[in-house]
Amino acid sequence: MSILTEISENLQKGKAKIVKELVMQAVEQGYAPEEILSKGLLDGMNIIGEKFKANEVYVPEVLVAARAMNVGSQVLKPYLEQAGVKAVGRVCIGTVQGDLHDIGKNLVKMMMEGKGLEVIDLGTDVAPETFIQTAIEQNCQIICCSALLTTTMGVMGEVVKKAEEAGIRDKVKIMIGGAPVDEAFCRQIGADCYTPDAASAADAAAAFCAAN
Amino acid sequence: MTNRERFQAVLNFEKPDDRLPAIEWASWWWDKTVVNWQSQGLPSDIGFRELAPYLGLDQHIQFWFQHRAADCPQPKFNGGPICEDEDGYEALLPYLYPDNEVDAAIEGMKALKEAHDRGDFPIWFSVDGGFWFPRTLLGIENHLYSFYDEPELYHRILDDLADFQLRTLEKVYSVLTPDFMTFGEDMSYNNGPMISEDSFNEFLLPYYQKVIPYIKEHGTKVIVDSDGDITKMIPWLKHAGIEGVLPLERQAGVDVAALREAHPDFLFIGAFDKMTMRRGVEDMRGEFERLLPVMKTGGFIPSVDHQTPPDVPLERYYKYIDMLKEYAEKAVK
Repeated sequence: MSILTEISENLQKGKAKIVKELVMQAVEQGYAPEEILSKGLLDGMNIIGEKFKANEVYVPEVLVAARAMNVGSQVLKPYLEQAGVKAVGRVCIGTVQGDLHDIGKNLVKMMMEGKGLEVIDLGTDVAPETFIQTAIEQNCQIICCSALLTTTMGVMGEVVKKAEEAGIRDKVKIMIGGAPVDEAFCRQIGADCYTPDAASAADAAAAFCAAN
Repeated sequence: MTNRERFQAVLNFEKPDDRLPAIEWASWWWDKTVVNWQSQGLPSDIGFRELAPYLGLDQHIQFWFQHRAADCPQPKFNGGPICEDEDGYEALLPYLYPDNEVDAAIEGMKALKEAHDRGDFPIWFSVDGGFWFPRTLLGIENHLYSFYDEPELYHRILDDLADFQLRTLEKVYSVLTPDFMTFGEDMSYNNGPMISEDSFNEFLLPYYQKVIPYIKEHGTKVIVDSDGDITKMIPWLKHAGIEGVLPLERQAGVDVAALREAHPDFLFIGAFDKMTMRRGVEDMRGEFERLLPVMKTGGFIPSVDHQTPPDVPLERYYKYIDMLKEYAEKAVK
């Protein structure tokens, strides 16, 4: 088994310490940082994402896998920078104003990072203006909004309106997700994309960025 | 037929004489919903236990036993931890499993015994379940990590929880026999269970198997309260001795007709898509038509699938109640 496969498999099992050691070994053995990232860390996270979509693994398994990926990524980061490897896209994500639920948002963030995207986490209770300001200042291709409550999902419509008012609507894709929202609501408020789960959200975001 | 007899009939898969129970689940409404209704003419001096009969619904009385003392440390943020490891749990123990607060609730139960015996209302109680309670201690995110990071602590918490609940149950049954009970869990979301069957069996099953037999021995129906899509978990729950689930959220994709077909002997409460109440009377009628065939199969009490949303006007809610009663009668004819 190659060391990259070992990285991928241990990441899937959430073995953060082993992943860290293996990434260091791979660097020492002369593997290109980009290859360690794509064939080791991101490969493992992609497999977890697919299994999560298929209900073959569950939230704790995703969390420990994502933690292992973060540990491995930290080791790899200086080598990636040195090699001039950049993220495949930039997303700002948050739970909308009035809503403090963040586990779904955090899962989406982890899955997106597992696709090689840079994710700016705005946290919970995020005002529409904050999404827009961040997207402009950080040059994000995607704004990603999460809501758990029927009483807060309407804020997503405000984000779309604010993006129009700020003149960035054609430069940024707006994705929505969370328990009370669906495809019809996405169309109703004029957002670009609704996904029913975290792994699909990451797939869609990666596809948007690849197309741009 | 008394209110309680009507409940008992449905809980035992028998047909009530006149209609199914007409209730709002849970026992109370969202604060915001009530405030909005008060601005639309609902008197503000009605106690929460009196609201159901005032609105024309059947009363049912819930006791939720506290598992943390009133002075227990609070999380620094919503969903945050109040302990992070074994040492933290040790430090927290003086604030957990407050028998004296249970005793106070039992006194309240005693006061309702006569009316309960008379059949004025069913009584049910809730306890924090083996998924929910550790989450209130460890915080939402750490709780999910804990299945991997702190398995011994998780088992210890559930051992202590089961012991506390068995003590509590002994007190309950010395007073009266509640008609049903719920384990508050919320262990599924809109894509299904939050944990795997292996994790469920390793951590929650031994806990359930300690507590449930004592409850069933007394004839109280055992129900799990879990928001989200519970479909995939039902076989796991049945294996643990659970007899029903609520509130069966439609928005999360729960299809109560499919569940009834797969589980003809399982109790259901809820399943009425709350989102139809926001859209209007025709949609609400369509929703009752969807539910009617399942209502006729027994063992199902229809109710809003997680309380009436705050933006449903009082006038429309009254129409909903009229329709609920109309279909509650149709279900037994």
